[in-house]
Amino acid sequence: MEASQPGLTADRLLRAKAGDGPAFEELLAPVLDPAFRLAITMLRDRSAAEDAVQEAALRAWRRIGRFRSGADLRPWFLAIVANECRSVRRSRWWHVIRSGEVALTALPDPWEVASADRLDLDAALERLPRRHLLVLVLYYHLDLPTDEVGRVLGCSRNAARVRIHRALGALRPGMAAEVER
Amino acid sequence: MTPDERELRRALNARSGDPTPAFRARLSTALAEGRPAGDGKQAIALVAAILLAVGTVAVFLLLRHGPGLVPAQRPQTLLPPSTPSAAPVLSPSPAASAGPAVTASPTTVAAPIPLPTSAEFDAPSASVVWAFVGGLELFRSTDRGETWQQRPLPSDPGLKAGVSFVDDAQGWLLSRGSSSTQCQAEVATIWHTIDAGASWQRMDTQGIADAQCKSGLSFVDPAHGFLVASDPNYPRVIYRTADGGRTWAASRPVPDPPGFTSQPVGFTLTAGRMRSFGSTLLVPVGRSYVFRSTDGGASWSYFASAPNHTASIAFVTATRWLSLIVPAQSEETLDAGATWHPYASDYDQAAPVAPDVVFGDSAVGYATVRGGLQRTIDGGLHWSSLHTPGT
Repeated sequence: MEASQPGLTADRLLRAKAGDGPAFEELLAPVLDPAFRLAITMLRDRSAAEDAVQEAALRAWRRIGRFRSGADLRPWFLAIVANECRSVRRSRWWHVIRSGEVALTALPDPWEVASADRLDLDAALERLPRRHLLVLVLYYHLDLPTDEVGRVLGCSRNAARVRIHRALGALRPGMAAEVER
Repeated sequence: MTPDERELRRALNARSGDPTPAFRARLSTALAEGRPAGDGKQAIALVAAILLAVGTVAVFLLLRHGPGLVPAQRPQTLLPPSTPSAAPVLSPSPAASAGPAVTASPTTVAAPIPLPTSAEFDAPSASVVWAFVGGLELFRSTDRGETWQQRPLPSDPGLKAGVSFVDDAQGWLLSRGSSSTQCQAEVATIWHTIDAGASWQRMDTQGIADAQCKSGLSFVDPAHGFLVASDPNYPRVIYRTADGGRTWAASRPVPDPPGFTSQPVGFTLTAGRMRSFGSTLLVPVGRSYVFRSTDGGASWSYFASAPNHTASIAFVTATRWLSLIVPAQSEETLDAGATWHPYASDYDQAAPVAPDVVFGDSAVGYATVRGGLQRTIDGGLHWSSLHTPGT
Protein backbone atom coordinates (compact mmCIF):
# COMPACT_ATOMS: atom_id res chain seq x y z
CA MET A 1 0.00 0.00 0.00
CA GLU A 2 1.22 3.45 -0.83
CA ALA A 3 0.06 4.79 2.49
CA SER A 4 2.44 2.49 4.29
CA GLN A 5 5.42 3.70 2.27
CA PRO A 6 5.28 7.48 2.51
CA GLY A 7 9.01 7.81 1.94
CA LEU A 8 8.84 5.89 -1.28
CA THR A 9 5.89 7.93 -2.49
CA ALA A 10 7.60 11.19 -1.57
CA ASP A 11 10.66 10.10 -3.51
CA ARG A 12 8.53 9.26 -6.53
CA LEU A 13 6.82 12.63 -6.26
CA LEU A 14 10.16 14.41 -6.19
CA ARG A 15 11.36 12.48 -9.21
CA ALA A 16 8.07 13.04 -11.04
CA LYS A 17 8.31 16.76 -10.37
CA ALA A 18 11.76 16.62 -11.87
CA GLY A 19 10.29 15.13 -15.04
CA ASP A 20 10.85 11.44 -14.40
CA GLY A 21 8.11 9.73 -16.45
CA PRO A 22 8.38 6.25 -14.90
CA ALA A 23 8.21 7.81 -11.43
CA PHE A 24 5.05 9.66 -12.37
CA GLU A 25 3.61 6.48 -13.82
CA GLU A 26 4.32 4.62 -10.59
CA LEU A 27 2.69 7.42 -8.68
CA LEU A 28 -0.36 7.24 -10.88
CA ALA A 29 -0.70 3.44 -10.92
CA PRO A 30 -2.77 3.05 -7.73
CA VAL A 31 -5.33 5.62 -8.88
CA LEU A 32 -5.57 4.56 -12.50
CA ASP A 33 -8.31 1.96 -11.96
CA PRO A 34 -10.68 4.24 -10.05
CA ALA A 35 -9.96 7.00 -12.54
CA PHE A 36 -10.91 4.78 -15.43
CA ARG A 37 -14.03 3.54 -13.66
CA LEU A 38 -15.05 7.12 -13.05
CA ALA A 39 -14.53 8.00 -16.70
CA ILE A 40 -16.30 5.02 -18.21
CA THR A 41 -19.23 5.33 -15.83
CA MET A 42 -19.62 8.99 -16.70
CA LEU A 43 -19.09 8.62 -20.44
CA ARG A 44 -20.40 5.08 -21.06
CA ASP A 45 -17.90 4.66 -23.86
CA ARG A 46 -14.63 2.81 -23.45
CA SER A 47 -12.72 4.69 -26.12
CA ALA A 48 -13.86 8.05 -24.82
CA ALA A 49 -12.99 6.99 -21.29
CA GLU A 50 -9.49 5.94 -22.35
CA ASP A 51 -8.97 9.25 -24.11
CA ALA A 52 -10.25 11.17 -21.10
CA VAL A 53 -8.01 9.34 -18.65
CA GLN A 54 -4.98 9.67 -20.88
CA GLU A 55 -5.58 13.37 -21.34
CA ALA A 56 -6.10 13.73 -17.61
CA ALA A 57 -2.84 11.90 -16.93
CA LEU A 58 -0.96 14.26 -19.20
CA ARG A 59 -2.60 17.27 -17.57
CA ALA A 60 -1.75 15.89 -14.17
CA TRP A 61 1.86 15.51 -15.15
CA ARG A 62 1.96 19.08 -16.38
CA ARG A 63 0.57 20.22 -13.04
CA ILE A 64 2.49 17.85 -10.79
CA GLY A 65 4.82 20.67 -9.83
CA ARG A 66 1.93 22.30 -7.99
CA PHE A 67 0.95 19.13 -6.16
CA ARG A 68 1.86 19.46 -2.50
CA SER A 69 3.92 16.71 -0.94
CA GLY A 70 1.92 14.77 1.63
CA ALA A 71 -1.43 15.49 -0.01
CA ASP A 72 -3.57 12.70 -1.35
CA LEU A 73 -3.08 12.10 -5.05
CA ARG A 74 -6.34 10.29 -5.64
CA PRO A 75 -8.87 13.10 -5.17
CA TRP A 76 -6.55 15.46 -6.99
CA PHE A 77 -6.32 13.18 -10.01
CA LEU A 78 -9.98 12.19 -9.95
CA ALA A 79 -10.89 15.87 -10.07
CA ILE A 80 -8.83 16.24 -13.21
CA VAL A 81 -10.48 13.16 -14.73
CA ALA A 82 -13.94 14.46 -13.86
CA ASN A 83 -13.13 17.76 -15.48
CA GLU A 84 -11.89 15.99 -18.57
CA CYS A 85 -15.09 13.93 -18.76
CA ARG A 86 -17.08 17.10 -18.56
CA SER A 87 -15.10 18.58 -21.41
CA VAL A 88 -15.68 15.47 -23.50
CA ARG A 89 -19.40 15.59 -22.91
CA ARG A 90 -19.52 19.26 -23.81
CA SER A 91 -17.99 18.66 -27.21
CA ARG A 92 -20.31 18.60 -30.16
CA TRP A 93 -18.88 15.35 -31.47
CA TRP A 94 -19.89 13.60 -28.29
CA HIS A 95 -23.53 14.49 -28.79
CA VAL A 96 -23.49 13.58 -32.47
CA ILE A 97 -21.91 10.21 -31.86
CA ARG A 98 -23.58 9.23 -28.64
CA SER A 99 -27.11 10.04 -29.69
CA GLY A 100 -27.00 7.15 -32.10
CA GLU A 101 -25.32 4.75 -29.73
CA VAL A 102 -27.40 5.22 -26.65
CA ALA A 103 -30.31 3.22 -27.96
CA LEU A 104 -28.06 0.24 -28.45
CA THR A 105 -25.90 0.46 -25.39
CA ALA A 106 -28.86 1.24 -23.17
CA LEU A 107 -30.31 -2.18 -23.79
CA PRO A 108 -29.62 -4.00 -20.55
CA ASP A 109 -27.88 -7.28 -20.24
CA PRO A 110 -30.64 -9.56 -18.98
CA TRP A 111 -28.26 -11.24 -16.60
CA GLU A 112 -27.21 -7.93 -15.17
CA VAL A 113 -30.67 -6.44 -15.16
CA ALA A 114 -32.86 -9.03 -13.61
CA SER A 115 -35.67 -6.89 -12.30
CA ALA A 116 -37.86 -4.00 -13.22
CA ASP A 117 -36.20 -2.00 -10.49
CA ARG A 118 -32.85 -2.18 -12.18
CA LEU A 119 -34.32 -1.40 -15.57
CA ASP A 120 -35.76 1.78 -14.25
CA LEU A 121 -32.77 2.66 -12.15
CA ASP A 122 -30.54 2.31 -15.18
CA ALA A 123 -32.82 4.55 -17.19
CA ALA A 124 -32.97 7.07 -14.37
CA LEU A 125 -29.18 7.15 -14.15
CA GLU A 126 -29.02 7.79 -17.86
CA ARG A 127 -31.30 10.79 -17.48
CA LEU A 128 -29.59 12.11 -14.39
CA PRO A 129 -27.73 15.42 -14.77
CA ARG A 130 -24.01 14.73 -14.95
CA ARG A 131 -23.20 16.71 -11.82
CA HIS A 132 -25.47 14.42 -9.83
CA LEU A 133 -24.15 11.31 -11.55
CA LEU A 134 -20.60 12.33 -10.69
CA VAL A 135 -21.43 12.54 -7.00
CA LEU A 136 -23.10 9.14 -7.00
CA VAL A 137 -20.22 7.54 -8.87
CA LEU A 138 -17.66 8.94 -6.46
CA TYR A 139 -19.57 7.87 -3.39
CA TYR A 140 -21.33 4.67 -4.33
CA HIS A 141 -19.20 3.25 -7.10
CA LEU A 142 -15.69 4.30 -6.10
CA ASP A 143 -16.55 4.13 -2.41
CA LEU A 144 -14.80 7.37 -1.58
CA PRO A 145 -15.40 8.71 1.91
CA THR A 146 -17.34 11.94 2.01
CA ASP A 147 -14.34 14.12 2.79
CA GLU A 148 -12.59 12.78 -0.29
CA VAL A 149 -15.73 13.26 -2.38
CA GLY A 150 -15.61 16.85 -1.18
CA ARG A 151 -12.01 17.24 -2.24
CA VAL A 152 -12.79 15.94 -5.72
CA LEU A 153 -15.70 18.35 -6.00
CA GLY A 154 -13.82 21.21 -4.38
CA CYS A 155 -16.17 21.52 -1.43
CA SER A 156 -16.38 20.61 2.23
CA ARG A 157 -17.34 17.22 3.61
CA ASN A 158 -20.71 18.52 4.70
CA ALA A 159 -21.31 20.07 1.32
CA ALA A 160 -20.44 16.73 -0.25
CA ARG A 161 -23.03 15.01 1.91
CA VAL A 162 -25.60 17.56 0.84
CA ARG A 163 -24.71 16.94 -2.78
CA ILE A 164 -25.07 13.19 -2.31
CA HIS A 165 -28.47 13.79 -0.79
CA ARG A 166 -29.48 16.06 -3.65
CA ALA A 167 -28.25 13.57 -6.22
CA LEU A 168 -30.34 10.82 -4.65
CA GLY A 169 -33.27 13.18 -4.56
CA ALA A 170 -32.79 13.96 -8.22
CA LEU A 171 -32.60 10.27 -9.03
CA ARG A 172 -35.93 9.49 -7.43
CA PRO A 173 -38.01 12.21 -9.11
CA GLY A 174 -36.40 11.13 -12.36
CA MET A 175 -37.89 7.74 -11.86
CA ALA A 176 -41.17 9.07 -10.58
CA ALA A 177 -41.45 11.32 -13.61
CA GLU A 178 -41.78 8.23 -15.70
CA VAL A 179 -44.78 7.28 -13.69
CA GLU A 180 -46.50 10.56 -14.26
CA ARG A 181 -45.80 10.59 -17.95
CA MET B 1 -39.50 1.69 -4.66
CA THR B 2 -36.56 3.70 -3.45
CA PRO B 3 -33.24 3.11 -5.21
CA ASP B 4 -31.44 1.68 -2.27
CA GLU B 5 -27.72 1.45 -1.99
CA ARG B 6 -27.46 -2.10 -3.20
CA GLU B 7 -29.42 -1.51 -6.38
CA LEU B 8 -27.64 1.76 -7.01
CA ARG B 9 -24.26 0.10 -6.68
CA ARG B 10 -25.32 -2.64 -9.06
CA ALA B 11 -26.58 -0.16 -11.61
CA LEU B 12 -23.40 1.90 -11.44
CA ASN B 13 -21.28 -1.21 -11.60
CA ALA B 14 -23.10 -2.28 -14.74
CA ARG B 15 -22.00 0.97 -16.38
CA SER B 16 -18.42 0.58 -15.31
CA GLY B 17 -15.32 -1.32 -16.42
CA ASP B 18 -11.61 -1.65 -15.89
CA PRO B 19 -8.80 -0.40 -18.09
CA THR B 20 -7.46 -2.92 -20.55
CA PRO B 21 -3.79 -3.94 -20.72
CA ALA B 22 -3.65 -2.30 -24.14
CA PHE B 23 -4.75 1.01 -22.67
CA ARG B 24 -2.24 0.75 -19.85
CA ALA B 25 0.47 0.17 -22.42
CA ARG B 26 -0.74 3.12 -24.47
CA LEU B 27 -0.73 5.37 -21.45
CA SER B 28 2.70 4.18 -20.46
CA THR B 29 3.97 5.00 -23.92
CA ALA B 30 2.41 8.44 -23.81
CA LEU B 31 4.05 9.17 -20.48
CA ALA B 32 7.37 7.79 -21.65
CA GLU B 33 7.42 10.38 -24.41
CA GLY B 34 8.21 12.95 -21.78
CA ARG B 35 6.36 15.57 -19.86
CA PRO B 36 4.17 17.58 -22.19
CA ALA B 37 4.86 21.24 -22.55
CA GLY B 38 2.61 23.77 -20.92
CA ASP B 39 -0.83 24.07 -22.33
CA GLY B 40 -0.36 26.58 -25.10
CA LYS B 41 -4.01 26.46 -26.00
CA GLN B 42 -4.99 27.77 -22.63
CA ALA B 43 -2.55 30.62 -22.81
CA ILE B 44 -3.76 31.52 -26.28
CA ALA B 45 -7.36 31.29 -25.11
CA LEU B 46 -6.58 33.54 -22.15
CA VAL B 47 -4.94 36.18 -24.29
CA ALA B 48 -7.75 35.99 -26.81
CA ALA B 49 -10.36 36.36 -24.10
CA ILE B 50 -8.60 39.40 -22.63
CA LEU B 51 -8.24 41.03 -26.02
CA LEU B 52 -11.87 40.33 -26.81
CA ALA B 53 -13.00 41.78 -23.50
CA VAL B 54 -10.85 44.89 -23.97
CA GLY B 55 -12.17 45.37 -27.45
CA THR B 56 -15.78 44.92 -26.41
CA VAL B 57 -15.54 47.42 -23.58
CA ALA B 58 -13.68 49.90 -25.75
CA VAL B 59 -16.36 49.75 -28.42
CA PHE B 60 -19.04 50.08 -25.78
CA LEU B 61 -17.39 53.18 -24.27
CA LEU B 62 -16.87 54.78 -27.64
CA LEU B 63 -20.49 54.29 -28.53
CA ARG B 64 -21.64 55.63 -25.19
CA HIS B 65 -19.42 58.67 -24.89
CA GLY B 66 -18.91 59.46 -28.52
CA PRO B 67 -15.69 59.79 -30.46
CA GLY B 68 -12.92 61.75 -28.82
CA LEU B 69 -13.95 60.97 -25.31
CA VAL B 70 -11.57 58.97 -23.20
CA PRO B 71 -12.85 56.90 -20.28
CA ALA B 72 -11.88 58.39 -16.92
CA GLN B 73 -10.55 55.14 -15.54
CA ARG B 74 -9.70 51.66 -16.55
CA PRO B 75 -12.85 49.56 -16.66
CA GLN B 76 -12.80 46.91 -13.96
CA THR B 77 -14.68 44.44 -16.09
CA LEU B 78 -11.53 43.69 -18.02
CA LEU B 79 -9.82 41.78 -15.30
CA PRO B 80 -11.44 38.40 -14.71
CA PRO B 81 -12.36 36.94 -18.06
CA SER B 82 -13.72 33.47 -18.11
CA THR B 83 -11.10 30.91 -19.01
CA PRO B 84 -11.33 27.26 -19.84
CA SER B 85 -9.65 26.36 -16.56
CA ALA B 86 -12.08 28.27 -14.39
CA ALA B 87 -14.58 25.46 -13.85
CA PRO B 88 -15.82 26.13 -10.32
CA VAL B 89 -16.80 22.70 -9.22
CA LEU B 90 -14.70 20.08 -10.87
CA SER B 91 -11.37 21.70 -11.45
CA PRO B 92 -8.65 20.53 -9.10
CA SER B 93 -7.99 23.81 -7.40
CA PRO B 94 -4.80 24.35 -5.44
CA ALA B 95 -6.93 24.35 -2.31
CA ALA B 96 -8.18 20.89 -3.13
CA SER B 97 -4.71 19.54 -3.59
CA ALA B 98 -3.35 21.29 -0.55
CA GLY B 99 -5.52 19.50 1.97
CA PRO B 100 -4.11 17.16 4.57
CA ALA B 101 -3.07 13.75 3.38
CA VAL B 102 -5.66 11.01 3.79
CA THR B 103 -3.92 7.85 4.82
CA ALA B 104 -6.94 5.57 5.10
CA SER B 105 -8.25 3.95 1.98
CA PRO B 106 -12.01 3.84 1.40
CA THR B 107 -11.90 0.09 1.41
CA THR B 108 -10.95 -0.02 5.05
CA VAL B 109 -12.78 3.05 6.25
CA ALA B 110 -16.04 3.21 4.39
CA ALA B 111 -16.68 -0.46 3.71
CA PRO B 112 -15.64 -2.68 6.61
CA ILE B 113 -16.94 -5.77 4.85
CA PRO B 114 -14.02 -6.97 2.76
CA LEU B 115 -16.41 -8.68 0.39
CA PRO B 116 -18.82 -6.82 -1.88
CA THR B 117 -20.36 -4.09 0.18
CA SER B 118 -24.00 -4.96 -0.27
CA ALA B 119 -25.52 -7.36 2.19
CA GLU B 120 -28.98 -8.56 3.11
CA PHE B 121 -29.77 -9.76 6.57
CA ASP B 122 -32.37 -12.16 7.86
CA ALA B 123 -32.97 -12.55 11.58
CA PRO B 124 -35.23 -15.53 12.29
CA SER B 125 -34.75 -15.08 16.05
CA ALA B 126 -33.02 -12.80 18.49
CA SER B 127 -29.80 -14.79 18.51
CA VAL B 128 -29.65 -16.07 14.94
CA VAL B 129 -28.88 -13.76 12.06
CA TRP B 130 -27.94 -14.62 8.50
CA ALA B 131 -25.99 -12.38 6.13
CA PHE B 132 -26.14 -12.79 2.39
CA VAL B 133 -23.26 -10.67 1.15
CA GLY B 134 -23.07 -9.39 -2.38
CA GLY B 135 -25.16 -12.28 -3.65
CA LEU B 136 -22.04 -14.42 -3.34
CA GLU B 137 -21.35 -15.35 0.25
CA LEU B 138 -23.55 -16.65 3.03
CA PHE B 139 -22.72 -16.17 6.69
CA ARG B 140 -24.49 -17.20 9.87
CA SER B 141 -24.21 -15.95 13.40
CA THR B 142 -25.85 -17.71 16.32
CA ASP B 143 -24.65 -15.24 18.93
CA ARG B 144 -26.35 -12.02 17.84
CA GLY B 145 -23.71 -11.15 15.30
CA GLU B 146 -20.70 -11.39 17.60
CA THR B 147 -19.07 -14.10 15.47
CA TRP B 148 -19.76 -15.28 11.95
CA GLN B 149 -19.36 -18.56 10.16
CA GLN B 150 -19.39 -18.83 6.40
CA ARG B 151 -21.85 -21.36 5.05
CA PRO B 152 -21.93 -23.00 1.59
CA LEU B 153 -24.22 -21.95 -1.22
CA PRO B 154 -25.49 -24.20 -4.00
CA SER B 155 -23.66 -24.19 -7.29
CA ASP B 156 -26.26 -22.64 -9.52
CA PRO B 157 -25.49 -20.67 -12.68
CA GLY B 158 -28.32 -18.26 -12.01
CA LEU B 159 -28.22 -15.03 -10.10
CA LYS B 160 -28.56 -15.76 -6.41
CA ALA B 161 -31.14 -13.20 -5.50
CA GLY B 162 -31.92 -13.76 -1.86
CA VAL B 163 -32.16 -16.13 1.04
CA SER B 164 -34.66 -16.66 3.80
CA PHE B 165 -34.11 -18.69 6.94
CA VAL B 166 -36.60 -19.66 9.60
CA ASP B 167 -34.00 -20.76 12.17
CA ASP B 168 -30.30 -21.53 12.39
CA ALA B 169 -30.51 -24.41 9.92
CA GLN B 170 -33.47 -24.33 7.57
CA GLY B 171 -33.66 -21.90 4.73
CA TRP B 172 -34.40 -21.27 1.09
CA LEU B 173 -32.51 -19.54 -1.68
CA LEU B 174 -33.92 -17.86 -4.76
CA SER B 175 -31.91 -18.17 -7.95
CA ARG B 176 -33.02 -16.26 -11.00
CA GLY B 177 -32.32 -17.15 -14.59
CA SER B 178 -32.03 -14.80 -17.48
CA SER B 179 -34.87 -12.30 -17.61
CA SER B 180 -36.33 -10.96 -20.82
CA THR B 181 -36.66 -7.28 -21.58
CA GLN B 182 -38.88 -5.35 -19.17
CA CYS B 183 -39.07 -8.44 -16.99
CA GLN B 184 -41.64 -10.07 -19.22
CA ALA B 185 -40.34 -13.45 -18.11
CA GLU B 186 -37.79 -14.86 -15.72
CA VAL B 187 -37.29 -18.40 -14.53
CA ALA B 188 -36.98 -18.75 -10.78
CA THR B 189 -35.30 -21.67 -9.07
CA ILE B 190 -35.68 -22.31 -5.37
CA TRP B 191 -33.17 -24.24 -3.29
CA HIS B 192 -33.75 -25.61 0.17
CA THR B 193 -31.44 -26.53 3.02
CA ILE B 194 -32.11 -28.03 6.41
CA ASP B 195 -28.50 -28.15 7.56
CA ALA B 196 -27.45 -24.53 7.36
CA GLY B 197 -26.25 -24.82 3.81
CA ALA B 198 -24.11 -27.92 4.20
CA SER B 199 -26.31 -29.42 1.52
CA TRP B 200 -28.85 -27.80 -0.78
CA GLN B 201 -31.73 -29.45 -2.63
CA ARG B 202 -33.14 -27.91 -5.77
CA MET B 203 -36.90 -27.83 -5.31
CA ASP B 204 -39.26 -29.10 -7.96
CA THR B 205 -41.66 -26.22 -7.59
CA GLN B 206 -45.08 -25.96 -9.14
CA GLY B 207 -47.27 -22.94 -9.70
CA ILE B 208 -44.72 -20.19 -10.28
CA ALA B 209 -45.24 -18.71 -13.73
CA ASP B 210 -42.30 -17.63 -15.80
CA ALA B 211 -43.89 -14.22 -16.27
CA GLN B 212 -42.39 -11.31 -14.34
CA CYS B 213 -39.18 -10.96 -12.37
CA LYS B 214 -38.94 -12.64 -8.99
CA SER B 215 -37.69 -11.16 -5.76
CA GLY B 216 -38.42 -10.93 -2.05
CA LEU B 217 -38.31 -14.61 -1.15
CA SER B 218 -39.35 -14.87 2.48
CA PHE B 219 -40.50 -17.70 4.67
CA VAL B 220 -42.29 -16.91 7.91
CA ASP B 221 -42.20 -20.50 9.16
CA PRO B 222 -41.10 -23.86 7.74
CA ALA B 223 -44.31 -24.19 5.73
CA HIS B 224 -45.34 -20.70 4.70
CA GLY B 225 -43.36 -18.67 2.26
CA PHE B 226 -43.80 -15.84 -0.21
CA LEU B 227 -42.26 -14.72 -3.44
CA VAL B 228 -42.85 -11.41 -5.20
CA ALA B 229 -43.29 -11.23 -8.97
CA SER B 230 -43.32 -7.86 -10.68
CA ASP B 231 -42.64 -6.03 -13.91
CA PRO B 232 -43.33 -2.54 -15.18
CA ASN B 233 -46.27 -3.52 -17.36
CA TYR B 234 -48.58 -5.65 -15.25
CA PRO B 235 -49.71 -5.63 -11.64
CA ARG B 236 -47.39 -7.34 -9.23
CA VAL B 237 -48.46 -10.56 -7.55
CA ILE B 238 -47.18 -12.31 -4.47
CA TYR B 239 -46.88 -16.07 -4.67
CA ARG B 240 -47.49 -18.05 -1.51
CA THR B 241 -46.75 -21.58 -0.45
CA ALA B 242 -48.08 -23.56 2.48
CA ASP B 243 -46.03 -26.71 1.99
CA GLY B 244 -42.49 -25.50 2.37
CA GLY B 245 -42.06 -24.28 -1.19
CA ARG B 246 -43.24 -27.19 -3.32
CA THR B 247 -46.48 -25.70 -4.61
CA TRP B 248 -47.22 -22.03 -5.05
CA ALA B 249 -50.28 -19.96 -5.80
CA ALA B 250 -50.41 -16.38 -6.96
CA SER B 251 -52.23 -13.76 -4.96
CA ARG B 252 -54.75 -11.46 -6.50
CA PRO B 253 -52.95 -8.54 -8.18
CA VAL B 254 -51.48 -6.24 -5.58
CA PRO B 255 -52.74 -2.71 -6.27
CA ASP B 256 -50.66 0.42 -6.31
CA PRO B 257 -50.60 2.42 -3.10
CA PRO B 258 -52.51 5.70 -2.99
CA GLY B 259 -50.81 8.43 -4.95
CA PHE B 260 -48.73 6.07 -7.02
CA THR B 261 -49.59 4.67 -10.41
CA SER B 262 -47.55 2.06 -12.21
CA GLN B 263 -47.34 2.86 -15.88
CA PRO B 264 -47.03 0.52 -18.84
CA VAL B 265 -43.38 0.32 -19.86
CA GLY B 266 -42.75 2.52 -16.89
CA PHE B 267 -41.96 2.35 -13.26
CA THR B 268 -43.39 0.09 -10.65
CA LEU B 269 -42.92 -0.55 -6.97
CA THR B 270 -41.69 -3.90 -5.81
CA ALA B 271 -42.61 -5.57 -2.58
CA GLY B 272 -40.10 -6.58 0.04
CA ARG B 273 -40.02 -9.32 2.63
CA MET B 274 -43.05 -10.47 4.55
CA ARG B 275 -43.40 -10.32 8.29
CA SER B 276 -45.95 -12.47 10.00
CA PHE B 277 -47.65 -11.46 13.23
CA GLY B 278 -50.26 -14.07 14.01
CA SER B 279 -52.78 -14.07 11.23
CA THR B 280 -51.61 -10.72 9.94
CA LEU B 281 -49.06 -10.51 7.19
CA LEU B 282 -47.26 -7.25 6.49
CA VAL B 283 -45.09 -6.43 3.52
CA PRO B 284 -43.30 -3.22 2.61
CA VAL B 285 -43.98 -2.05 -0.92
CA GLY B 286 -41.53 0.45 -2.27
CA ARG B 287 -40.01 0.71 1.21
CA SER B 288 -42.35 3.28 2.66
CA TYR B 289 -45.74 1.75 1.87
CA VAL B 290 -47.16 -1.12 3.87
CA PHE B 291 -49.59 -3.66 2.53
CA ARG B 292 -51.45 -6.13 4.69
CA SER B 293 -53.02 -9.50 4.18
CA THR B 294 -55.37 -11.15 6.63
CA ASP B 295 -56.21 -14.16 4.49
CA GLY B 296 -52.86 -15.87 4.41
CA GLY B 297 -51.57 -13.91 1.45
CA ALA B 298 -54.39 -14.58 -1.02
CA SER B 299 -55.11 -10.86 -1.25
CA TRP B 300 -53.25 -7.75 -0.23
CA SER B 301 -54.44 -4.22 0.39
CA TYR B 302 -52.77 -0.95 1.18
CA PHE B 303 -52.59 -0.46 4.91
CA ALA B 304 -50.28 2.41 5.86
CA SER B 305 -47.21 4.37 4.88
CA ALA B 306 -44.26 6.07 6.50
CA PRO B 307 -44.12 9.86 6.41
CA ASN B 308 -40.50 9.80 5.27
CA HIS B 309 -40.33 8.11 1.90
CA THR B 310 -36.54 8.02 1.91
CA ALA B 311 -36.46 5.70 4.92
CA SER B 312 -37.47 2.09 5.05
CA ILE B 313 -39.97 0.67 7.47
CA ALA B 314 -38.84 -1.92 9.98
CA PHE B 315 -41.57 -4.00 11.57
CA VAL B 316 -40.68 -4.55 15.23
CA THR B 317 -44.09 -5.88 16.24
CA ALA B 318 -47.46 -5.92 14.55
CA THR B 319 -48.14 -2.37 15.67
CA ARG B 320 -44.72 -0.91 16.47
CA TRP B 321 -42.75 0.04 13.40
CA LEU B 322 -39.67 2.18 12.96
CA SER B 323 -38.57 4.46 10.17
CA LEU B 324 -34.83 4.80 10.66
CA ILE B 325 -32.42 7.00 8.77
CA VAL B 326 -30.61 9.62 10.90
CA PRO B 327 -31.27 10.72 14.50
CA ALA B 328 -33.18 13.87 13.63
CA GLN B 329 -35.39 12.12 11.11
CA SER B 330 -36.13 8.71 12.58
CA GLU B 331 -39.74 8.10 13.50
CA GLU B 332 -41.84 5.53 15.30
CA THR B 333 -45.41 4.37 15.18
CA LEU B 334 -47.12 2.43 17.94
CA ASP B 335 -50.43 2.03 16.16
CA ALA B 336 -49.43 0.30 12.93
CA GLY B 337 -48.81 3.43 10.95
CA ALA B 338 -51.90 5.39 11.93
CA THR B 339 -49.74 8.03 13.61
CA TRP B 340 -46.01 8.64 13.59
CA HIS B 341 -43.87 10.60 16.01
CA PRO B 342 -40.16 11.47 16.22
CA TYR B 343 -38.07 8.70 17.67
CA ALA B 344 -34.83 9.49 19.48
CA SER B 345 -32.87 6.57 18.09
CA ASP B 346 -29.13 7.05 17.81
CA TYR B 347 -29.02 5.08 14.59
CA ASP B 348 -27.09 7.21 12.12
CA GLN B 349 -26.75 6.13 8.55
CA ALA B 350 -23.47 7.29 7.03
CA ALA B 351 -25.32 8.62 4.04
CA PRO B 352 -28.90 9.66 3.43
CA VAL B 353 -29.73 6.19 2.22
CA ALA B 354 -32.38 3.97 3.71
CA PRO B 355 -30.82 1.04 5.53
CA ASP B 356 -31.92 -2.57 5.60
CA VAL B 357 -33.30 -3.12 9.08
CA VAL B 358 -34.52 -6.45 10.43
CA PHE B 359 -35.68 -7.39 13.89
CA GLY B 360 -35.32 -10.88 15.32
CA ASP B 361 -37.75 -10.10 18.11
CA SER B 362 -39.18 -7.01 19.74
CA ALA B 363 -35.80 -6.03 21.19
CA VAL B 364 -32.99 -7.29 18.97
CA GLY B 365 -32.52 -5.87 15.53
CA TYR B 366 -29.83 -5.43 12.92
CA ALA B 367 -29.25 -2.61 10.47
CA THR B 368 -26.82 -2.01 7.66
CA VAL B 369 -24.69 1.08 7.83
CA ARG B 370 -22.94 1.66 4.51
CA GLY B 371 -21.25 -1.70 4.31
CA GLY B 372 -21.16 -2.18 8.07
CA LEU B 373 -23.57 -3.68 10.53
CA GLN B 374 -25.12 -2.38 13.73
CA ARG B 375 -27.25 -4.07 16.36
CA THR B 376 -29.81 -2.90 18.83
CA ILE B 377 -30.91 -4.84 21.88
CA ASP B 378 -33.40 -2.30 23.16
CA GLY B 379 -35.90 -2.22 20.35
CA GLY B 380 -34.11 0.30 18.17
CA LEU B 381 -33.22 3.08 20.58
CA HIS B 382 -29.48 2.46 20.76
CA TRP B 383 -27.27 0.87 18.13
CA SER B 384 -23.71 -0.43 18.31
CA SER B 385 -21.36 -1.63 15.62
CA LEU B 386 -20.66 -5.32 15.09
CA HIS B 387 -17.96 -7.22 13.35
CA THR B 388 -19.14 -7.69 9.84
CA PRO B 389 -19.23 -11.10 8.20
CA GLY B 390 -15.81 -12.11 6.99
CA THR B 391 -13.90 -9.90 9.42
